[in-house]
Amino acid sequence: MRKIAIAGALVLALGGVFELSQKPQEEGITLSIWSHEADELAKVAVRERVAREIERTHPGVHVRITWYDSEGLVVALKTALPAGQGPDVFYIETDWSDLITDGYVLPLDNLIDWGNIYPWARQAWINDGKTWAVPQEVYTDELYYNKDLLAKLGFTLPPNAQFSQEQFLDLIKKARASGVTPIVQGVGDRNYPGAYLLTQALLHKLGLDDYARLFAGHLSFEDARVEAVFRWVKELVDAGAYPKNFMTLKLGESHFYFYQKPGGVMLPMGSWYTGRAFVPVDEGGQPEDFPLGIMQFPAMDDGACNECKVRAVGSSFAINAASPNRQLAADYLNAMSTLEIGEFWIDTVHLQTAVKTQGIPASAHYPGYYPALMARQQGAKYFGGEPTDFLEGACLDTYVQVINSSFPGGLLSVDEALRLMNRGCYKD
Amino acid sequence: MASVVRVEPSDDRGRLPAQFPAWIPIVIFIAPAFILYAGFTLFPVLKTIYNSLHVMKPHNAVEFVGLGNYGALLTHDDVFWKAVKNTAIFALFGTVFDVACGLLLALLLFAKIPLARFWKIVWFSPVLISYVVVGIIWVWVYDYDWGFVNTGLRLVGLGSLEHAWLGDPHTALWAVLATQVWKWAGFNMIVFLAALYALPEDVLGAAELDHCGWLAKLFYIILPMLRPTVVSLLVLSFVGKMMVFDVVWIMTRGGPLWSTETVSTYVYKRAFDWNTFDLGYPSAIAVLWFAMILAFVALLIGLLRQRDKMEY
Repeated sequence: MRKIAIAGALVLALGGVFELSQKPQEEGITLSIWSHEADELAKVAVRERVAREIERTHPGVHVRITWYDSEGLVVALKTALPAGQGPDVFYIETDWSDLITDGYVLPLDNLIDWGNIYPWARQAWINDGKTWAVPQEVYTDELYYNKDLLAKLGFTLPPNAQFSQEQFLDLIKKARASGVTPIVQGVGDRNYPGAYLLTQALLHKLGLDDYARLFAGHLSFEDARVEAVFRWVKELVDAGAYPKNFMTLKLGESHFYFYQKPGGVMLPMGSWYTGRAFVPVDEGGQPEDFPLGIMQFPAMDDGACNECKVRAVGSSFAINAASPNRQLAADYLNAMSTLEIGEFWIDTVHLQTAVKTQGIPASAHYPGYYPALMARQQGAKYFGGEPTDFLEGACLDTYVQVINSSFPGGLLSVDEALRLMNRGCYKD
Repeated sequence: MASVVRVEPSDDRGRLPAQFPAWIPIVIFIAPAFILYAGFTLFPVLKTIYNSLHVMKPHNAVEFVGLGNYGALLTHDDVFWKAVKNTAIFALFGTVFDVACGLLLALLLFAKIPLARFWKIVWFSPVLISYVVVGIIWVWVYDYDWGFVNTGLRLVGLGSLEHAWLGDPHTALWAVLATQVWKWAGFNMIVFLAALYALPEDVLGAAELDHCGWLAKLFYIILPMLRPTVVSLLVLSFVGKMMVFDVVWIMTRGGPLWSTETVSTYVYKRAFDWNTFDLGYPSAIAVLWFAMILAFVALLIGLLRQRDKMEY
């Protein structure tokens, strides 16, 4: 009888062990993800596809993505994380670095398969020797233009696709004289679009190192080269480079303005331009026959690096340092970074990705676009990130008020703009 | 047949037993309201005051700096003083315009202008629209190229007056102010209208018998009798405008060149837009501003207090 009891106990115990080993470890777990870009349906589709993939490979796991706009997400994170109520995974941008320095982000060095991510894109997230987020989107700052309008104004793009300072000023003047808006841009709802032209000109003039020193507060805005760039941009502004409604034109409206109504010659924009432009026309996209071209930002006279471009990491994802589901969260980020998802991203979002992809996938709707974008990257040297990604405090506020809006908006003289920038940013 | 037990009322009916202290029911009745008040009003206020004396660091680490934040705010912060000036202009002129427009519209309705019911709905409807929608509508209204204002000016041959209303530091604050007045004049109108209809008819009738003209009736009879309503609306409007945030944030975000920056938008920027987790400094701004609003309201009430009560 005793033997039977022992045997029974052993069977039950083994059964229990067997059951435990069969039972999915994550049963009943909900992986919560907070993401920005709810309005970009192609990106939503990519992230939801990865979520469903995780649910398929991890039975019992439910992945719930909560969609925010950018501002709402920042506020939600900054209140939820200190309260210990944050999600497992959250969208993060490089200018939200305070989340890292304040300890709310988990280092990912040993959790992610970094072999699938371009090293330079990973580099954007390395701080203090640790990697803090997985980049999904990367982009370059580009100068989009309307090929037909450029030809109509009598201009032909040079072989390197880059006008000189003088040619560019001439283009602005001729466009304005013919009643066409030369550069479509507005700062009604963003803190960066008005700065594209000036910052690119500064980068070309100063080169990578001095450009970094300028915004780190170690080079004065009264430096002669900086002043020369400001004076040239002031000439463009005074020649009517920007729309009259520059101060109130919103980002989405500027897209529509450029390729629909009333039209304009150029639109400086991150290469995530496609997110708004490559959607059906009735949803605000560009017409399929729109003659879209990409040119380089103009070369500066005596420029230290006229081949320099800004390349930045866009949408990225981090794991909450307090998450109880770290491995599962890492699985989601790894699943987001596969070759298959990378190619799906390029094919549907039409935008560069940090995921290593093999060649350029053929796109059904915009076959020429991605190769043209890649052609503009030939021989480029890159500066990593926009000033809004790394500036903070009073310098950031001054940058937004002066370089993004008031100076290109024609409200400030060169001297006044330089004085304000030095007051906000210059440390030495 | 069911028996009925009749209970005779005793002398001490409705009273608690002697061993039951009288303060207990008081506490029981007050507790729910007090807990809500303490949790959602008192605690945040005290916490904000506490924060204002510290530099807040991540993970609830704090460094006591005493009045350091206040010192920096009062002596080194140009943007704060610009925000104070803008808010003061907004509160002062906005309050006067709001109340004056509300009174004017109410008088028009009281005088039974044609289509009065229609106009009442039209003038009141902006109050029902959310600030987000109002802000977006008025950004369009002010748009340089296709906005209603500039288009109207061009149509009537005044194209030379077209302007980037929200893009010019000289006009941006006034443009936002006009939006605010448009939204709230209807509210004041309804309150004034109710007060006008509550005026004693015999006083107004007596004035008419004395051949009192409309203006004289307005200034010598109606306005003095509306004084309590005017004071209430002035105080309400003033307090609201000292805290103005949403309409400014939606229309200009404090720009261009801080020309529409208000204290509330500046607090928000310092708390959430400056890439820092320090809530100490913005808390100091909030506390200081709270004290200033209290002082101004006390001053306003003192100035407008009716010394002699009207009898009618």
